[in-house]
Amino acid sequence: MRGKIIIIGMICFLFLLRAPYALAKDPVKVGVISVLSGPLAVVGKGEPDAIKMLIEGYGPLLGEKVELVIKDHAYSPGLAVERAKELYEKDKVDVIIGCPNSAAALGVSDQAAKNKKLFISTDAGTCDLIARNPYTIKWNYNDYMLATTVGLWGAEHLGKRWYTITSDYAWGHDLLKYFTAALKKKGGEHVGNDMVAVGTADYSPYILKAAKANPDVLVLLNVGKDAVNSTKAAVEYGLKKKAKIVHALLFEVDIKGAGIDIFEGDYTAASWNWVAPIPGVRKFADQFYERYGDRPIFMAAGGYSAALQYLEAVKRAGTKEQIPVIKALLNHTFKDIFADPGFVRAEDHLQLAKSYLLKVKKASDVKEKEDYFEIIGSVAAEEANPPVGFFGRKIGGF
Amino acid sequence: MGRLRMPSLIKNRWCLVWLIPLFIFLPFLTPHHSLASEMLIFAIFAMGYDILFGYTGLLSFGHAIFFGAGAYSSGLILIKLQAPLLVGLLGGIFVSLVIALVVGFLSIRVKGIYFVMVTLAFCQMFYFIALKWSGLTGGDNGLHGVPRPSIGPIHLDSEIRLYYLVLMLFVLCLFLALRIVRSPFGRALQSLKSNEDRAKSIGFNTNHFKLISFLISAFFGALAGGLYALHLNFVPLETLNIMTSGDVVIMSIIGGIGTLYGPIFGAMLLVYLKNLLSAWTEQWNFIMGILFVTSVLTLRRGILVEVKQRLFHKR
Amino acid sequence: MEGRSSFSPPGYSMDIQFVFIQLFNGLALGSFYILLSLGLTIIFGMLGVVNFAHGALYMLGAYCGYTLVQVYSGNFWMAVILSPLIVALIGIVMESTLLRKLYDLPHFYNLLLTFGLMIFIEELIQIIYSPMGKPFNTPKELLGSIDLGFMLFPKYRLFILGVTLFLAIGIWLFMGKTKLGAIIRAGTDDSEMVDALGIDISKIFTLVFGMGAGLAGLAGVLAAPLQNIFPYMGMGILTETFVVVIIGGMGSIFGSILGGIIVGELITMGVIFWPPMANTLIYIFMAAVLLLRPRGFFGRVKFFE
Repeated sequence: MRGKIIIIGMICFLFLLRAPYALAKDPVKVGVISVLSGPLAVVGKGEPDAIKMLIEGYGPLLGEKVELVIKDHAYSPGLAVERAKELYEKDKVDVIIGCPNSAAALGVSDQAAKNKKLFISTDAGTCDLIARNPYTIKWNYNDYMLATTVGLWGAEHLGKRWYTITSDYAWGHDLLKYFTAALKKKGGEHVGNDMVAVGTADYSPYILKAAKANPDVLVLLNVGKDAVNSTKAAVEYGLKKKAKIVHALLFEVDIKGAGIDIFEGDYTAASWNWVAPIPGVRKFADQFYERYGDRPIFMAAGGYSAALQYLEAVKRAGTKEQIPVIKALLNHTFKDIFADPGFVRAEDHLQLAKSYLLKVKKASDVKEKEDYFEIIGSVAAEEANPPVGFFGRKIGGF
Repeated sequence: MGRLRMPSLIKNRWCLVWLIPLFIFLPFLTPHHSLASEMLIFAIFAMGYDILFGYTGLLSFGHAIFFGAGAYSSGLILIKLQAPLLVGLLGGIFVSLVIALVVGFLSIRVKGIYFVMVTLAFCQMFYFIALKWSGLTGGDNGLHGVPRPSIGPIHLDSEIRLYYLVLMLFVLCLFLALRIVRSPFGRALQSLKSNEDRAKSIGFNTNHFKLISFLISAFFGALAGGLYALHLNFVPLETLNIMTSGDVVIMSIIGGIGTLYGPIFGAMLLVYLKNLLSAWTEQWNFIMGILFVTSVLTLRRGILVEVKQRLFHKR
Repeated sequence: MEGRSSFSPPGYSMDIQFVFIQLFNGLALGSFYILLSLGLTIIFGMLGVVNFAHGALYMLGAYCGYTLVQVYSGNFWMAVILSPLIVALIGIVMESTLLRKLYDLPHFYNLLLTFGLMIFIEELIQIIYSPMGKPFNTPKELLGSIDLGFMLFPKYRLFILGVTLFLAIGIWLFMGKTKLGAIIRAGTDDSEMVDALGIDISKIFTLVFGMGAGLAGLAGVLAAPLQNIFPYMGMGILTETFVVVIIGGMGSIFGSILGGIIVGELITMGVIFWPPMANTLIYIFMAAVLLLRPRGFFGRVKFFE
């Protein structure tokens, strides 16, 4: 018995000795976390798909082919943190991109700081991600941007009396805060608000309250099922005929799901849309469509952009070491299919770009698949996004 | 179902030969280290739950309350008071026990099926309270920045070190649980489960016993919750979710209720499978559902007991 | 420091018309709870099974409606009649193949089975139909509002109220006046005796489960135009239905009706008068009921064990 143990032990020891030589190949590894199962999978799959498309076409970086690891967090913050740990520790990725769900993104951001590796948050909206730690960069959109875009543009173009229906959780509260600030800036009047629990099926009491207040515009600071239910109720009680409806965030999936007639004529803000007037957008959208049968949504484009800019930063830095790459990303202006131009602010690690106002088309105007929106306006990057130091946080050293 | 179950370590001594190394080397056997901690955390949760469900016969669908309360309280104590680690965990347990006292008292007033629905409804209520009270809990975003204070000179930042802390507490809990179920109190619980009226007629204050059993299971749940907060360095709102309550029920059933080892095994298996399957397929919830339905229909006594029966009693 | 604010706009007055319309809304919402809890309560009363899959059956009703209308180009009325029947059939299959196997075991086994079935059904629908929401529109005949003199009220919601009233009375009469109803009531009290009297109690069980499932399916298809149809739409409403049953009392038809109205009104009026607590109100009420009268308003003592 003892002899066997000694022999097994020696073999293990020999393997251990060999191990360092196995590490000779060290390609750049990109990790992506998204929601790939459960009810939000339709929304989440676009981003890893787009990044896959990018990396396959990218070519070698630092002499090796770029590797991609995709993980599903099923929209659960707990799982997201587990996945982030896996990616950083076991898969040894050099960057994590994506992560919808603000709670999840915050958790991943903390793991990024703990592991001293980069996390580019492209999907979650919470502003707590801005200037959070040196290893987190906020890409794509944020709640301040969405609400401010709607508030600034809407107050000028849509009317003065605004009623808000807000999803009663952190995201909704943040949107309301920034929205009312923007509205006030342009002299709009906030005539009422209702906090509604997420998942409420019956919005009729709130719509009735809103109708009573006689607003010019009804703002729905909610998303997904809540956006659908609240809009359906607005249609049912005739409020849609009296006031314009603005959504904080409206996904093509929800329009498809509830039918475009319900949403016709509604407005929403977005960081991007596949009909945006950016050079190369149409080609990207077509490429994506040919490969995946769907048009890319802003999450996919944002992820694509973040991944592309990361790889370009590695090229510029000449290494995949964290600090030089992050430095190469900061204070950098870029142009890609997502932003034209985009800029990453060094003080708070925020990626800035123009934001858009979209309007839902009439069913009769829809000419091709997923052609639901038309772009009717935009807000400049600096106006839509929070100024430096707005949240009172400073990023420390690495 | 009326049999008294008294798990005994001594009878199965040979099992320890491979069980002990398994637990010691678990972080290296699982796809990644932190999965091992998660497996044991839910094992602690399920173990305590079995005392209530398997031994006392009370099916609670709201035990996520204590898991979540333990997680949030421990987290808050560690963050706001910068307390040492054990103080944080104990604080979480204390808060959960207070909540368990109130919820347990109210729930035990109703029996059988009502008890299930009431605990479910309470769970939903606490979920909403935590969601609303975002000043305290972070609401939907969860509680972030839970530190891992060192115990004396030992730093716990590495996942492996945390695992060994969890392992130690797990072993402690296991001994505690074993002592409880093998004590006269434990036997009283089982007699209560098989026939409450008879137990009452013998003179047991059954409500008293039920409440204590409830508190004990909450204790384990709270400890597991506190460890979970350390494990993730954050507390997500879903710890208070009804599905989390459902998870511990599923783990116990699949493992085999009323045996302590069953739910432990069930918890570890399910956490492991969840992790494994979600890497392969997007429909692992569906597979879980099938597994669970099959368990309830066929493996009545749970995988562990069934396997044991088939393998070792066929001679 | 929360950005919460729910303030009254200028000129907002607590006038009668507004309160009335919200009360009516509460009734319309309560109708769903009544339909669902009626089903839950008769299943429990007869079979002793707490049907966790009830929410999933509700969801199936909505999906049946969607499939009949969108895929088979049926009309709404067809959907309203056929969906409950299809769901009732599914319920009958569920009961006779699966639930039946566990009747000789303690009741919680069946509870767990239905819990597992809920997960199974939801995931299956998610695989077949995709997790995306599905569209379903209010039928043209029921669009718009009726002028009731003192207020305008959507036609569709009046329709729901009407259907629920009709069914509630129907079930009441069925249970009270028909022979089959008497058998069911007898079986609820003492199923062994009914069996001993030569009536095939297992067929009655199946029938009752089918009825309960059908009611859930009806609630689902009626809800379809009002809310987003998606695989997990049954989960939230299930817990609330449990609260209804706790308040009204398990096994009591009248309790379901009363409980449904109370919960519907609590939720709706809570929105008006105490918005931050709108969701938690029903649980507080439930806790109060538990403290003062654990078996609910009309709960029968027999089930309270």
